Amino acid sequence: MAAAPNDGIEIETTLRAVLVDVLGLDKARVAGFREETPLFGALPEFDSMAVAGLLTELEDRLGILIEDHEVDADMMETFGALLTFARTKALT
Amino acid sequence: MSKTAASLAFARFESGGRQEWLMRIGAEDAPAILLVPPLFEEMNRTRALLASVMRRLAAQGFGCWLPDLSGTGESERGLGEASWDDWRHDVTAASAYVTEKAGKPLIASVRGGVLLDDGAGARGWWRFAPADGLALQRDMVRAGLAGVEWAGYAPSDALKAGLAGATQAEVTPLRTLRLETDTQPADLKIDAPALWRRSEPGTSDALADALAADLAKWSRACAG
Repeated sequence: MAAAPNDGIEIETTLRAVLVDVLGLDKARVAGFREETPLFGALPEFDSMAVAGLLTELEDRLGILIEDHEVDADMMETFGALLTFARTKALT
Repeated sequence: MSKTAASLAFARFESGGRQEWLMRIGAEDAPAILLVPPLFEEMNRTRALLASVMRRLAAQGFGCWLPDLSGTGESERGLGEASWDDWRHDVTAASAYVTEKAGKPLIASVRGGVLLDDGAGARGWWRFAPADGLALQRDMVRAGLAGVEWAGYAPSDALKAGLAGATQAEVTPLRTLRLETDTQPADLKIDAPALWRRSEPGTSDALADALAADLAKWSRACAG
């Protein structure tokens, strides 16, 4: 298990890196994602297998465990929602 | 690329009374490398990458073989009819077929393919980004959380159960490669994208180059 990132900025950096790797998006494009940028349901790359990949990569890289009941369309709807979820999991 | 285009051929091999397909790139009697592909959707997503690794190795004088597991690719069965033991047997039978043509192969398995590769005769093993069965099963269940159960695949319960309980077996000699982002130990870490995670993965020339170069070196080291 990797050392868990210990601050909010590091978590945001990790989340952007996971989005680049899992969705195969351009780095510059993901760097421009804002809180309100829509993700799940808005990006064709974000399909059902990508959801699985995203959750697994976040677990591995943030050192967290995500339960299935915590996963729904709302927590992946926007970049901000996903970031809030990741921060809550990693920092509490 | 070599001056002569690498030959592409298909062969049928028998596995448990069934006829399954092997794709070959390179000469039939050249030092053999048998690839064991990732499972389910990851298999499709890495097909272009595996083919481009095979072409690179063929250009260096290797014969590369890739089986279609029962119920996948050109197999005449449906996925729902295939069991976990069938898949393990397919790899063993493919290896026996290759051995008859070219001598014992090096077995190169990727992701979930590493769970199938230990019953086969080989002069050595090479594994890239190994995944255990439970993690792969969890990915498929999680794909269902987004509304598409098992990402659209319908394997038998027996196959699902076999997958969930599967872990890599110890084999020797073995060389393991992982991505930089993977925290588990490996003989070599590669900085490359996890193409099997992507809905439109394509291939990566840099990754194909790195994998083919490492495989060629390891295959020569396992020449015995």
